[in-house]
Amino acid sequence: MKRLPASFWLLFAPLVLWMTAFLILPYVRVLTQSFYTVDDFGLLQPGFSLDSYSRFFSGPLYYGTLWKTFTLSATVTLCCLLLSIPLAYYIAFKATRNKTLLYTLIILPLWVSYIVRAYAWKIILGEEGVLNSLLMYVGLTDAPISVLLYSDVSVVICMVHIYTPFVLMPIYTAFEQIPKALVEASKDLGANRFTTFRKVVFPLSLPGIIAGATFAFVLSLGDFLAPILLGGPNTLFISNIFQNMFGTSNDKPLGSAIGIILLVIVLVVLEMSARAEKRFSSLESGR
Amino acid sequence: MKKLLLSALTLATAVTLWNCGGGEKKEGSSESTAVNTADFKGKTLNILCWEGYADPKFTKAFEEKYGVTVKGTYFGSSDELIAKLTAGGGDVYDIVTPSPDMAQALVERDLVQPIDLKKVAHYDSLADKLRSMQDVVKNGETYGVPFTWGPDYLVYNADVVKTEPKSWNEFLKPEYKGKIALWDDISSLYLAGMMLGYDKQDKGGLYKMNEQQLAEAKKKLMELKPQVRKYWVTAGELDNLMKNKEVVMAVGWPLTPATLKKEGMNVKGIIPQEGATGWIDRLMITKNTANKDLAMAWIDYITAPENMAKVAEVTNYSVANPGATRFLTPELQEVTQMNNTQYYFDKLNFWQYVKERKRYNEVWNEVKGGAI
Repeated sequence: MKRLPASFWLLFAPLVLWMTAFLILPYVRVLTQSFYTVDDFGLLQPGFSLDSYSRFFSGPLYYGTLWKTFTLSATVTLCCLLLSIPLAYYIAFKATRNKTLLYTLIILPLWVSYIVRAYAWKIILGEEGVLNSLLMYVGLTDAPISVLLYSDVSVVICMVHIYTPFVLMPIYTAFEQIPKALVEASKDLGANRFTTFRKVVFPLSLPGIIAGATFAFVLSLGDFLAPILLGGPNTLFISNIFQNMFGTSNDKPLGSAIGIILLVIVLVVLEMSARAEKRFSSLESGR
Repeated sequence: MKKLLLSALTLATAVTLWNCGGGEKKEGSSESTAVNTADFKGKTLNILCWEGYADPKFTKAFEEKYGVTVKGTYFGSSDELIAKLTAGGGDVYDIVTPSPDMAQALVERDLVQPIDLKKVAHYDSLADKLRSMQDVVKNGETYGVPFTWGPDYLVYNADVVKTEPKSWNEFLKPEYKGKIALWDDISSLYLAGMMLGYDKQDKGGLYKMNEQQLAEAKKKLMELKPQVRKYWVTAGELDNLMKNKEVVMAVGWPLTPATLKKEGMNVKGIIPQEGATGWIDRLMITKNTANKDLAMAWIDYITAPENMAKVAEVTNYSVANPGATRFLTPELQEVTQMNNTQYYFDKLNFWQYVKERKRYNEVWNEVKGGAI
């Protein structure tokens, strides 16, 4: 190996130290802890036991919850995409004068704390909330729709609201980077707007769409606050069980095992998305 | 950007995990013989307690009297108490205020030390019922001094629920479908056990249910589930649920009717015929404290009637010294039930240490997850 100059180490030592202390060591700790056991008081008993992992797969409580978290995260991702793609398309290609303003409006909510935004949904969706009052006022319903709040519905609505900017940003960037000439050429060759979108714009923006979808999916997979604040009696996300293991059950090994399993899943998702992005990322890839 | 954000997220998670880890236990010596209060000067008394138990309103006079600092560290759950108490060598805190679901465990685990009751001037004037509880007594020595207590009420909106509920089973009435709130805690299992009568033979039955009883309790809670709008996490959340009329009946603490009455709502808290569970927090001295005498001085100070009254003012909880009553406003006497303690002592089934806590939590998660 080539000797590196001292200045290199000077620059990188803090980074390496930081990553070791706050990333690598904690991961090692979580991994080793997942093989420990606890006594009935909740104190850790070091050792090597696969007990936590077998408990995870032994009953539907844990893997069933993980599966449910998966499907809800997928729903959130889909909704985010359905909202973001047309919106990004409009901002990138249609809006002219107010482009910056529109983009800022989308980004602006990111400046507001997550909790504030989640609480806002409580006010909007409640039985005496803004939405139900409006629906009843205009006569669309004659009783409040109670499923709007404290249910999976409200959790999904809140997460879609919170993660849409994360999805929109990469898609918008991807749209912006498409050479206008390609779009014009497509139209010159007789393709209508929809065909142009389907055959030119969409394939070229796929990396952005994949990046955005990954964002939404991975973030909702680990979300803890929305289910706690807006979820109903049937809403249980894997992160809530995870919190329970560390917060009330004092079962750190099982909590760590859930953490490791979730981590592996997220890594797989990220790797798949990185590959997909690469595959669709070049104009010359022959697609 | 994506990578950056993700690493930030993972980092945050990792740090949290790391912090959750317990530490190794160190032995510390704490014995000192003669008490000289002048020695206290400049020392810090560290109290590990529920929120509000180290409020300046009553710590200040103590601080000024001895020239010390009182520092409260709050925990939000019994397990957080264990984590904080055992982390960092276990000699950080001098006083700890566990609820009865943990108190006995602290005694058994040798994390606290016996208290010389003769040095607590007001001990004999504390309520008999609270002093007579045996869970903090080992080998004839007492490890905890009663501090505050309260019931897990049935709270209801009297404008909607016209007749006072007689039984917890009224939670199951069809007209209250989706209008009930339960506490997101294993104490909901105690409630189910009570509805099933598992406390009839032995009051402690709720805290040591066997697998079959737990399965029955779970069934009961699943039956209740369609009635439930929300499992609340904090008392403030329950207040909001009642205020926004999302729920009309709930399991709650005296704080909720007290707060909502002030806002003009007709909300009441009662104990139904089956009874109710209740909690009692004790003052305990940690095994490894370096400030044992100062800790004793605190216990002696805070159990005095006038200081206990201040605790009641800050927390709105009932306090262990009945003598505090005369320092309270009639309104506060009502809220803290200090004018009617015997009634509550007769009806309440105070929490006990749940040995199968992990299993209880698992069953509770199963209820929330909906898996049968």
